[in-house]
Amino acid sequence: MTDRPLSSPRADRATLPAALASPKRFGVAIRPPRYAWNGEHFVSDRLVDVDRASVADQPGRIEVVVEGNFVGVVADSLDAAQNAARQLAIEWQAISDTGHGNDVRAHIATKTNSSDPLAEHGTPSPAHRHDYGWPSRLRWGDTPGWVVADCSEQSLMVWVDSMSPEALAHDLATLTGLAREHIDLYGPSALRDACLGRHCGDDAAVDAAIMSRRLGYPVAVWLDATYARDVQALGEAQRISLRADLAMDGEISDFRYHQAHISGDIAAVGLWLCGCPPVQPAMASPAATYSPYAFRRHRLATRRDAGTHSHNDGFAEIQQAFARESFLDEVAHDSGQDPLALRQRHLDDPRGIELIESVSRRAEWGKTSSPADAESPDLLRGRGFAYAQRPDRHQRIAEGVRSAWIADVEVNRVTGDVTLTRLVVGQDAGPDIDTSRLQQTLQARVLSSARPLLGRAPTFDEWGDGSEPPPDRDSATSSALVEPTDTLTRRATNDMPATPGATALPEADLAPAVAVIANALFDATGVRFRQPPFTAGRVREALQDPTSPLQKNVSEPPALRRGKRWFKAAALTAVAGTAMMAWPWKGAIAPIPRPAANLYSAETIERGRLVAAAGDCAACHTAEGGQENAGGHAFDTPFGTLYSTNLTPDEETGIGQWSYAAFDRAMRQGISRDGRHLYPAFPYTAFAKISDADMQALYAYLMAQPAVRAETPANSLSFPFNIRPLMAGWNALYHDATPFEPAPEQSDLYNRGAYLAEGLGHCSACHTPRNAMGAERRGEQRLAGAMVDGWEAPPLNQQTHSPIAWSEASLYDYLRHGASSLHGVASGPMAPVVAGLGELPEYDVRALAHYVAAQMGVPAGDSESVQADAAERIASTQSGPMGMEEGERLFEGACAACHMESGAPTFSSAKTSLALNTNLFSAHPDNVIQSILGGVHADHVPGSGAMPGFSDSLSDSQVATLTAYLRARFAPDQAPWKDIESRTSEIRSYNDNP
Amino acid sequence: MTQTLTLNVNGQAQALSVAPDTPLLNVLRNDLALNGPKYGCGLGECGACSVLVNGMAARACVLPISAVVGHEIVTLEGLAHEGRLDPVQQAFIEAQAAQCGYCLNGMIISLRALLNRTPRPTSTQLRAALEYHLCRCGTHLEILEAAERAVDINAAESLEAPRD
Repeated sequence: MTDRPLSSPRADRATLPAALASPKRFGVAIRPPRYAWNGEHFVSDRLVDVDRASVADQPGRIEVVVEGNFVGVVADSLDAAQNAARQLAIEWQAISDTGHGNDVRAHIATKTNSSDPLAEHGTPSPAHRHDYGWPSRLRWGDTPGWVVADCSEQSLMVWVDSMSPEALAHDLATLTGLAREHIDLYGPSALRDACLGRHCGDDAAVDAAIMSRRLGYPVAVWLDATYARDVQALGEAQRISLRADLAMDGEISDFRYHQAHISGDIAAVGLWLCGCPPVQPAMASPAATYSPYAFRRHRLATRRDAGTHSHNDGFAEIQQAFARESFLDEVAHDSGQDPLALRQRHLDDPRGIELIESVSRRAEWGKTSSPADAESPDLLRGRGFAYAQRPDRHQRIAEGVRSAWIADVEVNRVTGDVTLTRLVVGQDAGPDIDTSRLQQTLQARVLSSARPLLGRAPTFDEWGDGSEPPPDRDSATSSALVEPTDTLTRRATNDMPATPGATALPEADLAPAVAVIANALFDATGVRFRQPPFTAGRVREALQDPTSPLQKNVSEPPALRRGKRWFKAAALTAVAGTAMMAWPWKGAIAPIPRPAANLYSAETIERGRLVAAAGDCAACHTAEGGQENAGGHAFDTPFGTLYSTNLTPDEETGIGQWSYAAFDRAMRQGISRDGRHLYPAFPYTAFAKISDADMQALYAYLMAQPAVRAETPANSLSFPFNIRPLMAGWNALYHDATPFEPAPEQSDLYNRGAYLAEGLGHCSACHTPRNAMGAERRGEQRLAGAMVDGWEAPPLNQQTHSPIAWSEASLYDYLRHGASSLHGVASGPMAPVVAGLGELPEYDVRALAHYVAAQMGVPAGDSESVQADAAERIASTQSGPMGMEEGERLFEGACAACHMESGAPTFSSAKTSLALNTNLFSAHPDNVIQSILGGVHADHVPGSGAMPGFSDSLSDSQVATLTAYLRARFAPDQAPWKDIESRTSEIRSYNDNP
Repeated sequence: MTQTLTLNVNGQAQALSVAPDTPLLNVLRNDLALNGPKYGCGLGECGACSVLVNGMAARACVLPISAVVGHEIVTLEGLAHEGRLDPVQQAFIEAQAAQCGYCLNGMIISLRALLNRTPRPTSTQLRAALEYHLCRCGTHLEILEAAERAVDINAAESLEAPRD
């Protein structure tokens, strides 16, 4: 929830076509009783008859879509559609009667019993051989979600969270006959081909498109556990057979690798059912296979279908590495060799050998530790290794990327949950590699790829392997129906940290990712998983049933293998749960060359721009008249003067050499790249609450800006505040770096507002008073107003001194338009804040107003009595108080032309009467003095007023006289201010020499 | 920071490359050579710079042009209609209501704005409309006379041919 995308252009509610954002009709696809992909053909029961009369008594409008063997039911709500789908009487002709074959199972059995690709006449049965598979479909994530399609004759728009948008688009083009450019895919995350294969979101998207195309309006389909049947039916997409003969000394003398792409890419189930299957590739062709190892003899063969869409090389390499590295792990185990040593003895590449050596040292491979964990006897722990080497773009292996991974997992033997607890990745991509960015990239990408592999949430159990969902699941899904569009977006926000928006990541090699988990799982459980994914359901099944077909090789039981556990190794990267980095020490993070401008995608940079706008970086990091974000803005604090730093990517004076890790640490923990502590004038106390995806986007945005060389002036702080290391103690006392947690009892709107206000927006940094140590006060003092930078930030809690009560509606007007008719305009340091908010979508600003209104305890709208109160205040101040002639003269001359009504409407006059101006009702005259001296410059906020500054035409004494007059005339119920003239003089000199 | 903005001045679109916080008066006088509006105090106090924005009086010296993009701006030069002076202009000529004349742009604009909203204003309303316009020559009596005459001419013209 914290991670609602601010801007991702294709996911933003504002830019999402209305038809997709709020579909009115809901569809359910009805699959035949039996259907399957048999390795060569799609076979299914044949549709004989659909009795539409059987749903005639259902309430509301029910439409039945029949195309070939595809049946769909569309109704006004998902519940109605599901009910109708249950009621609909359909006659199927069983597959065994169709003449295509005896039985679905028989088809599959035939395929898997086909000729042995590795068999050779006359050779004895090899010592080691195993087959590995790759599924046609992965499951969709942890939670159900919407898929919406809107199909017309000219175009097709689909909302879907696809991992394989190109393959999906091809399916949709086949279905509709539309050209690719007329098919628009929208998704909660940037849609791009990545990861480990297609998932059943694609099947749901095709189902929705079939129904929408027939009916001519948008149809929403609920992607839930029922789609696990498609995963089952489509079965395996790849079969990889490996064989090795070992010499007496354990060396592999003969190695054979054979990969049959049964079909690289199986079209969506709906497409097959409705009778428009994609053109099948006629010929399979050999494809490149790489092995980093030098065996005495080896044969590698991979066949790839022509015209396969997922010919993503990274994807193929992950599959190859999975099979090869799993197999070597099995060989090592069966022949009693250390898995690392086995790899090393077959490498003749010194860099690779050294890399494995260093990863082994780093992870303390082979170190034994306490055998059992008394506190959690159900947890099995294991560790795995995998290695890969990828040629460079010129297909030169020696020049390519080497990567060695060691993963630690915990497996709960009761639930089957697999948790990746530690990952050590060594990668040799040549010199000049940015290790910290690589670490970040790998972490994020491993997270996103581990997700479909592992599935970590308990709800994943319910996402079983084709089983029916438990009954209570149904009610949960129905309740989510109340606001489908919200579910769409929330689906996006529950994601693990998004992959960084890098357009090119030549250095991130994910090839070992799957194998390393499989090997660690084997180490933990003694069960060998020869096909991903390793979901809780499959793991649990394998652990409970030793004869399960998933588990073809049970070795010694886990209890006997506890001797070689590595419990004590310090966590380097905790991948499970939150993606928090642990920083045991505050060392410097190595400088990096400035990242290339084209590293991040335009979408990420745009999102970052909005994050920067919401966080309003430029307000503090831009000096008066200086370049944006180049720093040097002075802050007068009770501890001395601080200067904001240069945020442009200049390598010497800015953050050009900051890796993402350094940036993230500074933002969340207030520690500069070089290890120095930052002062909490920089609101890292608030920024700790920013979501990872927003943080990465912000980094991308800042790094993409022009570099400006600008030295930051030295701070002049009084003792002891000039001793930066003391900030460590300060942080321990006052800094809470826990990420934002939504309050479950509050609405989404409230929580979104809280995320923005407490994190990115850092409202409290200005609006909360600080204690003697400069820490924000808590309790009633939270948001109670404070003096900042020569201005007063008024209270945002119930202590507000506004003469007219605020409301959520007024707050929205103020934050969105920079002005509220009952309260006046945003000025001073708040003007750029409003300008920044102007970039944010409507929903975010509404959420902020909602949250602040809740803190103030004010109603949603302005009641009639409030309006009447305002009118009365204005009427009662039409003439000035007696005995203040000097003030009256100044007011009439300088102010009245714009601040008093002259009988005819004027375009340039102030829209809100001074009688309603919050600043005149404060205990402090500062904001009034500031406004008179400097004016109100709302050029960032079109449509709101502009007022000239009078610092050159009024003396301190005149300003004081005028200020006193304004207070007496427009806030007659407030006590007069004291010492206005001296305060004017202080503010004037502060403004002149900040 | 310079931007290209388009202003609608006296019925014509004018594309300008200027900083968005530039006062409207500067653009009118310097870029468009419309010298009817005068620079007086520069603080919105005297009214010499007045122009019509959407038919309402506005002090052009304090109005950033970003605030008037998309609005209809009319200066003194744009008041005449089909070769015929605006009734307010005609009245000021007939009453010879000028000493130095520097303030008259603002007087005329504000009266035009008043008559747009209130075709038959009382003397009090006329005075209120002119209240925050400063004249340093002391021509106030003649100006008030011109204002009264403007009301009459305006009413007569409205009877003949309603202005659009």
